[in-house]
Amino acid sequence: MTTTGDRRLRITEYLDLDLDGEIWLCNRCNRVLGPARENYKRGLLLYDRDPREVHPPIVEGNFSFAPDPLWVRIVEFYCPGCGTQIETEYLPPGHPITRDIEIDLDALKKRLESGELILKNQRLEAAP
Amino acid sequence: MPIPTLAEKLQWLKPAPATDYEKECVQTIKHGSYEIGVQITNDILDEAMEVFVRSSRSYFGVSGDSMVAIFTAGGDLINGSCGTYLHAIIQPIIIKFILKYYQENPGIRDGDIFYTNDALYGGIHNPDQVAIMPVFHEGRLIAWATAALHTTETGAVEPGGMPVSAKSRFEEGLNMPPIKIGENFHLRNDFLEFYSVYGLRAPAMFISDLRARCTTADRVRVRLLEQVEKRGVEFIVGLMRKMLDVAEAGAFQKVKALPDGKFRSVVFNDAIGWTPALVRACFLTLTKSGDRLTFDFEGTSPENPSSYNVHTQAVVGHIANFMYEYFFHDLPICSSTFAPIDFVFPEGIILNPDKLAATSCCVYIGMQTRCATHNCFAKMMYATNLWTQVASAPGSQHTAQICAGHSQWNLAVSDVLSFSLNTQGQGGRAADDGMDAYGFAWCAFGRAPDCEQVEGELPITVNLSQHWKDSSGPGLHRGGSGAVQQWMIHKVPNMLSLCMGNGSKVPLGQPLFGGYASAPIPGISVRKTDMLARMREGDPELTLDHRELLEDRSTHGDWTFELIARTPKMYSEGDLLFGFSGGGPGYGDPLERAPESVVVDLKKRIISEWTAKNVYRVAFDTERGKVDNAQTNELRAAERKARLARGKPYDAFVADWSKQSPPQEILQYYGSWPDAKPTGPVFRP
Repeated sequence: MTTTGDRRLRITEYLDLDLDGEIWLCNRCNRVLGPARENYKRGLLLYDRDPREVHPPIVEGNFSFAPDPLWVRIVEFYCPGCGTQIETEYLPPGHPITRDIEIDLDALKKRLESGELILKNQRLEAAP
Repeated sequence: MPIPTLAEKLQWLKPAPATDYEKECVQTIKHGSYEIGVQITNDILDEAMEVFVRSSRSYFGVSGDSMVAIFTAGGDLINGSCGTYLHAIIQPIIIKFILKYYQENPGIRDGDIFYTNDALYGGIHNPDQVAIMPVFHEGRLIAWATAALHTTETGAVEPGGMPVSAKSRFEEGLNMPPIKIGENFHLRNDFLEFYSVYGLRAPAMFISDLRARCTTADRVRVRLLEQVEKRGVEFIVGLMRKMLDVAEAGAFQKVKALPDGKFRSVVFNDAIGWTPALVRACFLTLTKSGDRLTFDFEGTSPENPSSYNVHTQAVVGHIANFMYEYFFHDLPICSSTFAPIDFVFPEGIILNPDKLAATSCCVYIGMQTRCATHNCFAKMMYATNLWTQVASAPGSQHTAQICAGHSQWNLAVSDVLSFSLNTQGQGGRAADDGMDAYGFAWCAFGRAPDCEQVEGELPITVNLSQHWKDSSGPGLHRGGSGAVQQWMIHKVPNMLSLCMGNGSKVPLGQPLFGGYASAPIPGISVRKTDMLARMREGDPELTLDHRELLEDRSTHGDWTFELIARTPKMYSEGDLLFGFSGGGPGYGDPLERAPESVVVDLKKRIISEWTAKNVYRVAFDTERGKVDNAQTNELRAAERKARLARGKPYDAFVADWSKQSPPQEILQYYGSWPDAKPTGPVFRP
């Protein structure tokens, strides 16, 4: 296995993956968010926001430059450690939360072990 | 009828194996001469694109929303000048259809010109039309040349080429499978007569654009043959094959370097034709395994009896726009780059409708597949050294306003006001904000047309062109701002206008990594206004600030705010219409945006004070614009604390959340709730 940094991988702006511990972490406060083989959103705090609180109407009526809260809500996902807004989803009320990231950890580890990929500055690169 | 099946289309997207002749020719290409050869194809295509833009009349043509391309004899694209990447990957389907079915009758000969606009046979939608010319050398077919351009008229049930009310393909006007329209380098007069009657609403534009396509394709053909004379036919044939091989190897290499796994995104649309209706426009599961990618659209809403359906290859075209702007930005525009990519289209979804379906407004659904692709790739690429290519989707809502009737010169016109298409905001990026008014989500290189040219050809005056305040999605890196124009019907007694679009109720596209989406767009018109009279009088109180106009209504008249997609209506001289282009969704937590950047946005009128204070939580001196860092830190700390207080654990949240649903009356085209399965057959006239 070839590494030039630590064994932590940036997955999103705020979500890190500890490859050895197989855990999700908050990039900002290092809070452990849960097992990396599960949906990281299960380790976050969720809030159902009325979209008009972010996109306020600028005229009256049904077509106001604001999203219609009966059609769409903003689901906000917060780090339970530092309150960073890690993700948002614009969903119709009641629509299932999306499991957006499912890394194949076994394949990733195998490719790192084989030297096909290297880890540099917490990011993956193809070996030269 | 040999209408291509889904299996044929997906197969024809892949490059054909090299022929023995191509393999021989590749051996003649040496290092150095290959790179020179690639640049020669670029030069040929760029010259032809210049010809294309200068000889087109429609505003899509003038704006450069077009593509010129070169293909191998077998029909695989080796390079293109864009324009729009929409057609880049999918035109091989059309050429391979011609090669399979037209060899004997009507035959494929030197000097032939083929033409098509039918999405059943490989296009995007019927306003997108392409001229195709085989390139022969000494009797041997060695290549193909094409020129594609969107035309804003098709002789449909409504002017403008994208009839919002069409319920089946039979209401969309001209839908023409590949047909030979010219022989011996001449257009056939019988075809021109047939074709021209579909363009009676705008004959000058309609016929000029047809000729522009043919002229452009022929310029490519001529320049290719000049290079054959200069460098030998083996060089040109070998060059094209090598370009395919090199691009394919590059694409496999890039795909392979990504982490394996599954990545998902779901996006929604809020209009089906003129009906406000919620659909799950794209449910994308993107699987990366080894050196392959699979796009699976299982879970997308079913097809519907409107023109808001997308044929499968048009979905691929929309995805190509993302791929070439971001992931494949350093690879040539070459269809072999899609060799590592497979697609799964369940039957009967809005992205794989029946052959009778209307699809002329397919772009409003197709764009949502691009938006979903952005998010899936972001979550796959951020872990790699390609992370700076991560970006939210571009703003994809816009006012596609059609002007029809007669110009002030009494010429018949039917065209789109394309400023509000070509000034959409780029999505916020991993390393920067999205660019303001960056281009057209369907055509990154499209440009807003010149106002005076528009005013000269269409019966309107453009009263204002501004960035649209608060249009972009807030975030650590905000989305690029959209723009707004106000159009006044001028110098004619009346004008017919309708509008295509979506995004009045639900923001289109998803933001990234804690950012917010961009603002929705209503349809706005003002009748019986005092604007023209006050302009004539030089009224010093008259404001042309779009936000003041909307909030204060200081321009008097009958204001209407409605769904952006609107039926054809007559407007009178002096009436006003507003055209908006969507801002880009944001990237990252807005509380992390540099306070100084927020104040700069405020000074540039990109955002309002309300947004600076309530979304970004920045404290500043409103007179001087100076940031109070200490108070900003306090405000932001308080907001983070409030998040921790109001946020619920996942299971507790889902327990409450899953009891909700949207109103039943907006789900008529959604399918079953929430999994979007078909609930019954679709009947079309």
